[in-house]
Amino acid sequence: MASSPDTATSDFGTDRQRVEIILAQIEELPTLPAVALRLLELTTASDTSARDIVEVIETDQALTAKILSLVRRADLGVRDDVMTIERAVVLMGFEAVRSAVLSVQIYETFASVEPHDETDFNRAEFWKHSLAVACAAQLIAERLDDGGRPAEAFVCGLLHDVGKMALDACLPKSYARVVRRAQRGHQCISDVEHEILGIDHTITGKRLLTRWRLPKAIAECAWLHHQPPDALPKSIEAAAMVMIVHLADNLVRRQRIGFSGYNRVDPVDELADRIGLPGKALDHVIARLPETIEQHCQLVGLDRLTSTDLYAEALADANEELGRLNQSLAETNRRLAWRSRYFDALRAFHAGLTLDDRVGDVCRSAARATANLFGTEQAVGFGITEAEVTFHVAGESDEAGPAMRLPPLSVERGSARAAVNSASCIMPAMEYWPAVADHVGHLFQGEAVSMLPFVHSNAIVGGVLFTTAHDQIARHNQARAELESLCAAFGLAAATAIVRCDGQRLQEELAEVNRRLHGAQAQLLRARSLAMIARMAAGAAHELNNPLAIISGRAQMLARTAATGQERRALEIISEQCDRATQIVSELMEFAKPYTPHPTEVQLGSWAASLRDRWLDRSSLDADEFVVTISDPAVTLYVDTRQLSEIFDAILMNAMEAVAGSVARLVVNSTSTASDDTVVIAVQDSGKGMSPDVLEHALDPFFSHRAAGRGRGLGLSRAARLAENNGGRLWLDSTEGVGTTVYVELPAGRRA
Amino acid sequence: MIAMKSVYTTGEVADICKISQQTVIRCFDNGRLKGFKVPGSKFRRIPREALISFMKENDIPLDQLESGKKRVLVVDDDEPIIEMFTELLERDGRFEVKTASTGYDAGLLTQQFRPDVILLDFKLPDINGNVVCRRIRSAPEFEHIKIIAISGVADPDEVTELMAAGADEFIKKPFEIDAVISRMAELVKL
Repeated sequence: MASSPDTATSDFGTDRQRVEIILAQIEELPTLPAVALRLLELTTASDTSARDIVEVIETDQALTAKILSLVRRADLGVRDDVMTIERAVVLMGFEAVRSAVLSVQIYETFASVEPHDETDFNRAEFWKHSLAVACAAQLIAERLDDGGRPAEAFVCGLLHDVGKMALDACLPKSYARVVRRAQRGHQCISDVEHEILGIDHTITGKRLLTRWRLPKAIAECAWLHHQPPDALPKSIEAAAMVMIVHLADNLVRRQRIGFSGYNRVDPVDELADRIGLPGKALDHVIARLPETIEQHCQLVGLDRLTSTDLYAEALADANEELGRLNQSLAETNRRLAWRSRYFDALRAFHAGLTLDDRVGDVCRSAARATANLFGTEQAVGFGITEAEVTFHVAGESDEAGPAMRLPPLSVERGSARAAVNSASCIMPAMEYWPAVADHVGHLFQGEAVSMLPFVHSNAIVGGVLFTTAHDQIARHNQARAELESLCAAFGLAAATAIVRCDGQRLQEELAEVNRRLHGAQAQLLRARSLAMIARMAAGAAHELNNPLAIISGRAQMLARTAATGQERRALEIISEQCDRATQIVSELMEFAKPYTPHPTEVQLGSWAASLRDRWLDRSSLDADEFVVTISDPAVTLYVDTRQLSEIFDAILMNAMEAVAGSVARLVVNSTSTASDDTVVIAVQDSGKGMSPDVLEHALDPFFSHRAAGRGRGLGLSRAARLAENNGGRLWLDSTEGVGTTVYVELPAGRRA
Repeated sequence: MIAMKSVYTTGEVADICKISQQTVIRCFDNGRLKGFKVPGSKFRRIPREALISFMKENDIPLDQLESGKKRVLVVDDDEPIIEMFTELLERDGRFEVKTASTGYDAGLLTQQFRPDVILLDFKLPDINGNVVCRRIRSAPEFEHIKIIAISGVADPDEVTELMAAGADEFIKKPFEIDAVISRMAELVKL
């Protein structure tokens, strides 16, 4: 692969192999022990009703997914309608539910690999977020006139972020970085995931859920819940459900329930409007939310502390049972007769196939089938795409560690074809395709490797590599007709998977492009409206200042000959107010078209100290109420000094108003960003904070929530504008009753 | 020069009007001559404006005051602005005023009227103020003319351009009228 995993600019598509590896790792989902425990208890107790189990399962997304998936696997046919756990439990019975619980061992596996840092991706908080979105989606659906199918909404909400859990489980370190950056940079987490991992949680979630054969609506919600309503693909089936989940997700993030990895919020009013949810109903949903979530939390005992011993015990039982299952399977296998081996191999292969398999799945299935057929343990399937050969070790997803994974091999186009032209029977790999034989040699401890090619439309699309006794090969080559049909079946499946994967990737990339385009459009729109305001303000300044000059001038003339002091004062007020009106026009003009910055190197430490001195002078703050912490004294900024002061004066002015009447404490804190080319400065106040409503509009020009909100309507929005003007940005974080933090990211200068 | 003062004593008024100081004081005290007393004293002071209207009312020739007046050309396309300046400057008494509302007229009047000072609006219907400025400055015979540019928008770039084009002063609308008048008087050394 050309690009390294951490290339910040990685476009989707360039990291395909890496993405495929990530997707291959995501076979099982981690889940929460609390839920598992409760469920194990319930399923073993004699007096449990189906309703109890349904309730517990519905609060855990991994189990919900698993069980819905199990139902579909159990009956491959007409079960598209199985959307709720209740139906699933009725269909499956308690036994199946217990086997779902067994999959929680995966959680233990993942959890032991990488202990989680509290501040990054907190799984309990994430779980709470998922649950909250599920509840919100259900409440919203209940409120919709056309009967939004509340139970289905609950499931869709619960699983919407399943991709995050999967990514966190597979790449805990990288994912912690994603969360850190998304939080600090106030970015959409999808963008950060793309940047760092090359894939985001929406696509991961979609793939995973499709793979589990869950109903399409669930996968579509996981895939498109960040998509603005206007940018939803026409072809999707559950657009209404996707919008419900999108709204629910933003609502929950806005209310700060649980933690989904970042805090940014789209305006909920617009989204509610789009799905036809009246404002009153939205308020109702918000009001009911905490109570509903609380109920679900109690149900799984998440408010209590879980006993690890109990859980470990449950896991041990689970493992034992799994072991017994495997043993009986082996016994059955031994009873198979040699003559039906081909048939069985083919049948096993077909049974393992699904419509959504990737090339790797097909290769692995084929390798497994071949390994069984030849009674060998080790087999490697490979698929040939445009310019490389990818290898898939049979059983790698089960217990094999990374050492068993093979990197892809670059090949020249057509060399594969030349290597194995007319062959459709077993042959020595070293003779026909030495490059490939070399590549996999170490897996077979130097034994001679045989190759069974997959043929489709007279071309080789892949194959299986394995070792077996010489006489075995001779015996199998005699049954040529069977061998050929086996190869053709493998070939057809592999070719189909290759074509379908390409199509699927294109579709996903298109949706991603759509989403970005929408963002770009919004930005363009903002730039355009600012340009329009600039033109308007310039025009208004010219048009307004003439009449203002006349009003002011005439008032001054009258004031000279005013009969009384009172009259003179009134006339002076007229001319003062004219000046004030002029000031507003000028500010508006400067907001829309700030003057070109002349950046210089500014030493952060000394600048912050002088800012503090200036503010201590002019405000009533005590020295210990204004704290400045600079993480690295060598840091410099590269900005326009005057605009820098204007930015922070506006922010501090706002903070001073927020702390009025309460204990004031301002903390200015700076941190360099990972790439070192920007510096983030945070100004934190201990004021009254902002409600979600106020926070949403806090950066709008002329927005003010003060009762007599006049005069400084451009404060924070002006600061944001000036930060942008200097190549930076500004964003807010605020909790009502706790305080507000304003973050300003600015270009860094050379280190002092 | 007594004729160009802005505030007069009763003695000076007596000189200018060729009447006795007693009469001046009587007229002041009965209100026919407007003015004020110096705060904390009994000294009477008469503003130039009040003196002119007193002389006009009593048909006293203005000759004494007319001499030494400075010529002002006010250029603005906004009629009320022109009206205001005309009234203000005429009332002041030290200026003779002519007006123009286009750049073209401004050029023409500069030739004919030969003003001492021009109050020049930046935005004119035909050509912009800086162009007018540059044209006037290009003729050596107009070198002595003082130009005060006035504009509703103080775009730093526009101001720099104006000053480079030869303006002596820039004033932003709205303005303090006293400041404008005194700056004008200063420039033409009144």
